[in-house]
Amino acid sequence: MDRKVVVPGDLLSEEAKRSGEGTFVKDGKVYSLLYGLANYRDRINVIPLAGKYVPAQGDNVIGIVKDITFSNWIVDINSPYDGLLHISEFPKRIESDEMSKYLRIGSSLMTKVKDVDPTMKVELTLNDRKLGLIKTGRVIEISHTRVPRLIGKGGSMISMLKKEVNCSIFVGQNGRIWINGGAEDMDLAIRTILLIEKEAHTNGLTDRIVDFLKKEKGARS
Amino acid sequence: MDETDITFFKDGFRLDGRRAEELRPVKMEVGVLARADGSCYIEMGGNKVIAAVYGPREVHPRHLQEVTRAIVRYRYNMASFSVEERKRPGPDRRSYELSKVSREALEPVILTSYFPRSVIDVFVEVLQADAGTRTAGINAAAVALADAGIPMKSMISACAAGKVDDTLVLDPMKEEDNFGQADLPIAMTPNGEITLIQMDGGLTPDELHQAVEMAMKGCRDIYEIQRKCLVEKYSQLEAPAEEVHACE
Amino acid sequence: MPVSDVLSEIKKDYLYNLVLKGERADGRSFEQYREISIEKNVVRKAEGSALVKLGQTQVLVGVKMQPGEPFPDTPNRGVIITNAELVPLASPTFEPGPPSEVGIELARVVDRGVRESKAVDLEALCIVPGKQVWIIFIDVHILDDCGNILDASSLGAIAALLTTRVPASKFDLGEDYSLPIKDIPIATTAIEFGDVLMFDPDVDEQSIANTRLTVITTASGNICGMQKSGKGTLKQEQIYRIVDIACEKAKEIREKFLEA
Repeated sequence: MDRKVVVPGDLLSEEAKRSGEGTFVKDGKVYSLLYGLANYRDRINVIPLAGKYVPAQGDNVIGIVKDITFSNWIVDINSPYDGLLHISEFPKRIESDEMSKYLRIGSSLMTKVKDVDPTMKVELTLNDRKLGLIKTGRVIEISHTRVPRLIGKGGSMISMLKKEVNCSIFVGQNGRIWINGGAEDMDLAIRTILLIEKEAHTNGLTDRIVDFLKKEKGARS
Repeated sequence: MDETDITFFKDGFRLDGRRAEELRPVKMEVGVLARADGSCYIEMGGNKVIAAVYGPREVHPRHLQEVTRAIVRYRYNMASFSVEERKRPGPDRRSYELSKVSREALEPVILTSYFPRSVIDVFVEVLQADAGTRTAGINAAAVALADAGIPMKSMISACAAGKVDDTLVLDPMKEEDNFGQADLPIAMTPNGEITLIQMDGGLTPDELHQAVEMAMKGCRDIYEIQRKCLVEKYSQLEAPAEEVHACE
Repeated sequence: MPVSDVLSEIKKDYLYNLVLKGERADGRSFEQYREISIEKNVVRKAEGSALVKLGQTQVLVGVKMQPGEPFPDTPNRGVIITNAELVPLASPTFEPGPPSEVGIELARVVDRGVRESKAVDLEALCIVPGKQVWIIFIDVHILDDCGNILDASSLGAIAALLTTRVPASKFDLGEDYSLPIKDIPIATTAIEFGDVLMFDPDVDEQSIANTRLTVITTASGNICGMQKSGKGTLKQEQIYRIVDIACEKAKEIREKFLEA
């Protein structure tokens, strides 16, 4: 695979149809919109080094309740846009005056983006078995631009990691990650995730991570 | 002091040893601030300027937000110790104007429609001033925006041309600016779309053409420096070199 | 929205279609100015004043003078201080309060024209070197913003300066005399819209344009100031074209209104 560091405005291709994420087409040519790494496949995608998480429908995210209104929890989702969790999106029927009994200001939750309208009003939901309040384990934050790498092709990286470190892991598209397991296992999981973040843009990452885990676990036993 | 007190050229060289069409040395470093989403430090001759980008983030006060796009704010500020005589801290009329035109120099390339109802804040602090702070600020701000992952149609580069002793010069330094006959700062995209042009002093129409050409050439050179600075930062982050082409 | 007028999509389309046909809403050609009138000495309390009408745009500029201290780096020169007030009476989009960015830019560009053209003989305004010089306050008051207040203000400033009498007797400094004027700078503004350049834009034209360029020229046909404004871009050739036309327009205006 061909990769190259690009800056905004760099010409990537003469063929408009190869325009992928992080690119734009002008006069039939493809240019980069971002500073990042251009991946040349059929389509050319530019993966940025940095940037803010912009919510999209269906994204799993980890949020922190920052305010409670009459019928909504207002949730920080590590984005320029807050999420709104309506009382009706709570898995069981509750009354407005008992909202803070279930989710308080400061509560962390695994939630999902139900809908985003064009003005970036973000609606969240807890209506899914794997979603809900975080009570145990730890939450760490990485750049959301590295999340695809952490998940890996078809989920390969994350399932390998879950198995190897023996932890439950919930990856928020917004870069927040929940890890739950034994104390030592969690430590190793976090160290591994931070390593993946740091080296996300390099080749041969999966193999290096497998080696890293082998070595770490070897040292432990 | 009068204009005539200074000899601006000696054997075809300027006071600092440059030729007429030569830039001052430029040094740039990207990602210099930990808290900012993007940042850049630049030295252009005696100018030392730092730019930080925050955002896109929530707009405060709320009534400033726009439903269909992000707003861009640009704050050009001179440190009180950045100039010969202490400058009173805080914004003055000059800094308001420079903030406005600098913001408008960058806005044409920023894809604000990607982030409705948010703000992209650009803060430019002049730590040491030596003529050309606005162009140095714009150069740093463009790199800081890229560093913050803000989508842009291209980079923006800025540079001034001036006139001293009836001769056109690129990138005037303090003496040339103070006692010169004209100053013409320009900012543009690498393919020559001009996003900032200002002028004061006196130029004939012919001189104006030449000065624009000269400043544009300077912008192109600065673009190469900006690009190099960004690309090199990435290569530093590259993991151990021997593994890069290993697999996949 | 505090700074820009809101323009409906329908109106935008209409104006755009006109441009495609090579027309403007009020029937002018792209390079044509609206009718200009200048009324001088309209404010008796001021040392100089002028009311400029540019179509329906109205700007009143007053000049006041008083003795004061020179700047330390120019001990033998008078001082010019230019201010602009975008008072709320002039437009629904102007708000009361401290000067806006737009107002500050306007004042500074007007000031740039007067200063850089060396229109006022500042050396002649020295009273006691290093101690006392004449201070000229140019105050621009926008009365009715129907577009292109910059050209109107700049025109008002030089027209008012041309009528200014230095109030020497008021301060026991001899007899009053006319302010010595050496040049007549004229600002010419064009907007870019759909690859077309339009001079002397009205409010609607201003609000559809992304880019504006003001060029200030001197009596000798040189350029003494420029300012690009707005979040759009200009091509090199467009700048040259605006400069060329600006020189012509300024010459006409100067000859017709200011060179008595």
